[in-house]
Amino acid sequence: MTSILAILRESWLSLRAEWLFKGVMGLNVLVIVAYASIGFDANGISLFYGLTHIESEFIYAGSPMSRTLYLGIYSAFIVNMWLAWAASILALISTSSIFPSFLSAGAVELVVSRPTRRSTIFFVKYAGGLLFVVLQVSVFTLGAFLAAGWRVDAWDPAIFLAIPIITLFYSYLFCVNVLVGVITRSTLIALLATLLFWFSSFSVRTADDIMSQFSYRLDATVERTEARVAELDEETSEAEAAGDELDAEDAAHWAVGPQAAMDRARKAQSQLAPWAAIISGVRTVLPETARTLGLLHRALERNTDTTLMDLMSGAAFDDEDEPPRKLSEEEEAQARHMEKEEEIPAWSIILKSLVFEAVILIVALIIFRRRDF
Amino acid sequence: MSHVIELTDVHKTFGRKVLALRGVSMHVDQGQIFCLLGPNGAGKSTLVKILMTVIHASRLSGTMLGHPIGHKPTLRRVGYLPEHHRFPPYMTAEQALHYYGGLSHIRRPERVRRIAEKLDLVGMTAWRSHKVGTFSKGMQQRLGLAQALLADPELLLLDEPTDGVDPVGRREIRDLLHHLRREGRTILINSHILAELESICDQLAVVVKGRVAMEGTLEELTCGGLRWVVQWRGADVDSLAFEVEREGDLRTVSLPNASDEDVQAVIDAVRGAGGIVTSVQEFRESLEDLFMRALKDADDLDGAVPGAVQGKVSKAT
Repeated sequence: MTSILAILRESWLSLRAEWLFKGVMGLNVLVIVAYASIGFDANGISLFYGLTHIESEFIYAGSPMSRTLYLGIYSAFIVNMWLAWAASILALISTSSIFPSFLSAGAVELVVSRPTRRSTIFFVKYAGGLLFVVLQVSVFTLGAFLAAGWRVDAWDPAIFLAIPIITLFYSYLFCVNVLVGVITRSTLIALLATLLFWFSSFSVRTADDIMSQFSYRLDATVERTEARVAELDEETSEAEAAGDELDAEDAAHWAVGPQAAMDRARKAQSQLAPWAAIISGVRTVLPETARTLGLLHRALERNTDTTLMDLMSGAAFDDEDEPPRKLSEEEEAQARHMEKEEEIPAWSIILKSLVFEAVILIVALIIFRRRDF
Repeated sequence: MSHVIELTDVHKTFGRKVLALRGVSMHVDQGQIFCLLGPNGAGKSTLVKILMTVIHASRLSGTMLGHPIGHKPTLRRVGYLPEHHRFPPYMTAEQALHYYGGLSHIRRPERVRRIAEKLDLVGMTAWRSHKVGTFSKGMQQRLGLAQALLADPELLLLDEPTDGVDPVGRREIRDLLHHLRREGRTILINSHILAELESICDQLAVVVKGRVAMEGTLEELTCGGLRWVVQWRGADVDSLAFEVEREGDLRTVSLPNASDEDVQAVIDAVRGAGGIVTSVQEFRESLEDLFMRALKDADDLDGAVPGAVQGKVSKAT
């Protein structure tokens, strides 16, 4: 325990000495101040602590939509854009040097020659690297919690889920950073390799999402044309039964187009299937960065009737008495995709990603343990 | 006398071709200052790093403080100062010692006491709250000694301990080593500065090309190099069985491994021939002479390159 505390304290001292750590902490405070500047009054939304005002008949102080909007801004924009992208890149720049510096000649001998086991040193050093994110997100989340409580009276402890979720997300990238750092002992190569990995996994995920949405769209096309063809077939049968040959011919004529569209959609489905399987297979072995971040969104929207997506699509403002609007094929495909994503259990997202992280860390540990310094 | 370190047939190969150690066998006795000598690349630092588990041996049999080499808990009783060590520059001297003390499993209250004691011992108390990054090479070296001593070790392994230290500091380090020996600690020093080692060394080993070329006490190893030198003016003495050097009127004869009687016979012969004896001196081989002799012997055996050996690795290693 003494050695673990010593390594963690060393990690803290090294972070404290980094100007980037202080810089990112300052930026965190600025983002929270900006977030807290959004407020609601009886007539709508106030911005910049009341300097600007947007009138709204739906979103105002005390309305359920104001809460959805405020927490949605936090989970979908601030967490996704700032914490998951900008702050994570800055964190990577800052922490990429941890292992290469520690493994540099003259420094590593002083540490690995101690009675502490190399595996303990490795894992505590790894945890020390994550400390950067834990501390940054903790301060950030506390600010967001206070802002949400003040602005929309949402004293929701789920806001603090950002701490483990962002840390998990960051750890998927940091483990790759550590592996490359252990192999090459170069900060620059470790950083570039991590960014490349991040970009690759982002590309695979985006490709998989596009494939999946395209597939749902084809499903919707097939279903809709099937229904239309069946409808026209019925009309033809009815016209034939009634002896109205003209109507029967007309209905049969109109069925040709949907039938062809259905055939094209089925053909496209069969052509798409092997590619979709390959991309999906590649995604399976990669950590679920976006889905992990999405867990926070899920948690914050668990008790609301209206989602941020409803607000953004305008569905939240539809008249409840009117029948629901018929969705376009694209909208339906998107809705199905979202629905499927929501159905994926949180444990499966986290477990799959942790398996990836564990494999990478085990490889890095084996190299570190066997290495001569 | 018990052996604090006992090594048999240590091999280390880097990659497939660099044979850094080729069957090193040696022992270090308790309470001794043991000097490990050798040219650059001979494998001295590799050997020390193997003892400290920084490097894994390709083949090894041996013990340190009664436990197999690589037994991590034993390292609590060992202090180590690596060559060209680098402390985290953002730490103060005190924080650095807390860090390394913690890694050596020394509890905080004990650490606080020992840190004050060791900083005082190496003359760094006034700098305890200064960042290590601002320290000179000599100060870093002193701090390195303090961290090596922090665990109150029974065995100290020092790799170039006086590197970068000024003459006053070197003297202080020598005194400190004598003091530690008097306390019964065993010290293994790896250094190039032979003149410094000569005054403190009890036992030594010369490592050349990954092998121990010589091992023993300084006295044992240099007695083979004992010689008498007789100088006189005047007459040539033809009856001497030794080669006589002439420089003007001065004659010099060197008598390797000569007994007192042999020397007396030479003096008698010179005086009998009318020469005037001006000096009779006993010379013992210096550490530098010894070192050069070991290198030469190894070169005669293995070829001219003194450092690590490149070659194919046999299955045995």
